[in-house]
Amino acid sequence: MAGYDESEIEKLVDGKLPWTRVQEIMKDAKDPDRIEKWIAILQKRVPWKERILLPLTPCLFIVQKDRQRVVKCRCGQEFGDYRANWKLEALIFVRETEASLREVYRGSEQPDPSWVQIREYSCPGCGVQLEVEAVPRGCPPDFEFLPDLDTFYRDWLERPLPDEQEFADKTLDVVRSWSEE
Amino acid sequence: MSSVPRRKDVQERPSLQEQLRRNDELFKDTGSLFGLKKLGRKQADPGMYEAVWAILLNICNTGWTVGCKVSSSPVAAEGGDALWCLHLPTGEAVCASKGIVSHPGLLSMLIRSYIEYGYEELPGFHPGDIFENNDSHYGGLHSPDFQTAVPIFYDGELVAWAASVSHVMDAGFVTPGSIGFLNPDCFSDGVPVTMEKIGENDRVYPWYEMRIRSRTRTPEWVLGDGRGRLAGCLTIRDRVVKLIDKYGLDYFRDVTREYIEDSRRYAVGRIRTQGVPGRIRKSNFKDLAMQGKRVILPHQNVDCLFNQPLEVTIDANAKVRFSVRGASGWVPFGENITPTACISGLLNVYSHMVGFDMFNWGAAAAWELETPPPGSWCNPYPVNYFASSGVAWAPAVTWLSSLYEILGRLYFSRGYVEEVAAGSATTMTAEFSGVNQYGLFTAGLTLEQASNGQPARAMADGDNSAWSIYTPQADFGNAEISELFYPIMFLGRNVEPDSGGYGKFRGGLGHTAVWMVMNTPGIEYQCGCAGLRSKVVANHGMFGAYPTWPDRPSYATGTNVKELIDARKPLVHERGDPEEPDLVKRIKAKGLEANGIAPFVTPEPLHEYDIIVHPISGAQAFGDPLERDPELVRSDLDAGWTRERVAVEVYGVVAQRDATSGEWAVDQAATERKRNDMRAARKKRGVPFRQWWKAERKKILKGENMASAVVEMWRQSMNLSPDYAADIRAFWKLPDDFRF
Repeated sequence: MAGYDESEIEKLVDGKLPWTRVQEIMKDAKDPDRIEKWIAILQKRVPWKERILLPLTPCLFIVQKDRQRVVKCRCGQEFGDYRANWKLEALIFVRETEASLREVYRGSEQPDPSWVQIREYSCPGCGVQLEVEAVPRGCPPDFEFLPDLDTFYRDWLERPLPDEQEFADKTLDVVRSWSEE
Repeated sequence: MSSVPRRKDVQERPSLQEQLRRNDELFKDTGSLFGLKKLGRKQADPGMYEAVWAILLNICNTGWTVGCKVSSSPVAAEGGDALWCLHLPTGEAVCASKGIVSHPGLLSMLIRSYIEYGYEELPGFHPGDIFENNDSHYGGLHSPDFQTAVPIFYDGELVAWAASVSHVMDAGFVTPGSIGFLNPDCFSDGVPVTMEKIGENDRVYPWYEMRIRSRTRTPEWVLGDGRGRLAGCLTIRDRVVKLIDKYGLDYFRDVTREYIEDSRRYAVGRIRTQGVPGRIRKSNFKDLAMQGKRVILPHQNVDCLFNQPLEVTIDANAKVRFSVRGASGWVPFGENITPTACISGLLNVYSHMVGFDMFNWGAAAAWELETPPPGSWCNPYPVNYFASSGVAWAPAVTWLSSLYEILGRLYFSRGYVEEVAAGSATTMTAEFSGVNQYGLFTAGLTLEQASNGQPARAMADGDNSAWSIYTPQADFGNAEISELFYPIMFLGRNVEPDSGGYGKFRGGLGHTAVWMVMNTPGIEYQCGCAGLRSKVVANHGMFGAYPTWPDRPSYATGTNVKELIDARKPLVHERGDPEEPDLVKRIKAKGLEANGIAPFVTPEPLHEYDIIVHPISGAQAFGDPLERDPELVRSDLDAGWTRERVAVEVYGVVAQRDATSGEWAVDQAATERKRNDMRAARKKRGVPFRQWWKAERKKILKGENMASAVVEMWRQSMNLSPDYAADIRAFWKLPDDFRF
């Protein structure tokens, strides 16, 4: 079974490994301890201490905060319970006019704004662009990934997490608390 | 039962229908295919197990080589757009050749269908029989894909099948060609070969050939492809018999089943060891804007938008379940697909993203597809049995692209960044029909779409023009060969800058072909949809990237190109500036479509010196563009793969070009300032989601700035999937009776 030094994994994730070496890694059996090294690399790069449970994106992580599991940006900005779509706590900017689209897409490269919106989600803390959606009006934001963390740690990694939590989508619970006006 | 005399011991074997029933029960009861709790042959002699696999793989690939050489059409002979497989007696694919990997699942289910429909009794399965199908009502993808199956007998017993598929040049549609997006219904889907026995004793019946001659426009090519499929199958058959001679029938029977179960275990194991359980959702949308264009029937004068959601759930046992809940309705065009074909499409993505030492039917047993909403584009027949599937692959391309990103997200979370793929390119096709340079009628497909940009990884850009969603052998063929088949001349075939989206890592770039029409009294250009977007862009802003742009072809008729050539003035060799393309700047023309909404067929035939600019999509990008290494931007500037405007305004990279050397240099300090300013601007212009939600909710209630196709799509999706409708109403807090 393949195994790699953390330093080599770090070069791999940063795109710094020679391509021939990347190809060897791609062809070889996967290293089962990758997630531990992956999280260790990410953990040492963030300025906060909460334990990373699972990376969601290059910038967002599910972390253990006291007895809660919250989504946290690498800058420290928090987005609430990981079981509710983090986009509800993000900044959003929507391109739905030819003028605003033109900053990215021009001329024949521009989609039709009456068919599709370009929704840009960014972090209120650091301004990093977290996701971009291209969907028509009416489409709820994608809740891309709701991991079953307890099953993952308990059954797949065989390292159960403390304080098991219900595996359920809590997004609508948040929306229900909002006033329409 | 078959009328073929059998050995005494063979006669005691259960019928194939009974074997199918037992196989299904064994899988249900044990969770293992064929009830194989152990891979006995593998354990006993792993070396022989691997060696025989390698032989079978070589046999299938030899079938591909022979079949493509025998075929006469450029699609097979030049592009290799075909596939050969070896199957169990009950249909499950054991081993597949290179070629179009979307089909091993379909061929597996085709053979199963023959058995389920009682063909073992009538007409019976005999040595030398040839069976064929292209009817999507019975397991085909779309009618240009002809599927051929040949039983393999050993000592009087049916021990395996060889099967093949190839994409013919003309399917006999209501319009010429093989990309039948214009077909209004199945009655326009061309020449049907519905689950037929088309020959015996290794020879095709004469009436089959007569039908192809009278009902397709390029019969020599279509029949040539048929001979290629058969030649490849017979090659496989003969070599498999020799393999059984050497290793014995018992070994062959055992080991072929073990390969399939082994593949299932691999697919489950890969998800378990490299994925994460939970739920992943990805919306995607695909347009088909046909209002005001040339169509076949009046009710096709309509714009359509496909809702193509994909939800994946993975349980504690790594069982994967796919759902298309929320899919919009069937369309009055040839872009409907059956659930059977969807299963094979999912297997196609698995071949790329899950990866197999042993690619076969086994992975399909590692997951389930929830029955798509009846009446939707992906399950039309319960509501409209006559829906067209002229190019059923078209909606699958844009739907399946989501699965690349979904699996990529799982691999990313586990740290397997080298396996991430951000989303696939589209496949806009070009077909020509008319009189060619030899004075003969021709209709056929170029191969430009068979080589796209590769999706971005999480640690590298995708490769340019080196990837295709439906085949690992991405190959757009030689330009010179295309010029032999069609009355065109290539004026350009260039990598298109910035066509791979904008991100920390960009997708591989696509290319743009520029053709000049020559040596013809007139030819139609069909800019076809085999999976494109022209009004919208893909919902593939993975981790903050911008999706690649829409597919927009262009063409000019009645041009002054001959005068330009005579005067040795610049012609058109690439697309150029999207706001002022080269076609507009350099060519005078009586007719000019500079920004075409695809797909379409030219209203009038094109003539000498008319120009076509046909772009082929790049793939999707990964990550915030402001995090792209400025050195990569500089390198792309030097190569001509990005433009200065994009470098500055999208990537925030300030660079200057040396007037002497022509090379670019990045101003690091200015870049840092520029990027900080852009991040600050995001925070300033962005609004808290909740604030936007309130305003957006009101616009939804008013239907503000929503094209008719958008409104109709939501109506269909909500009608077909009430629980999906409930989720939409709940999210936007809409009344219970709200309809778009």
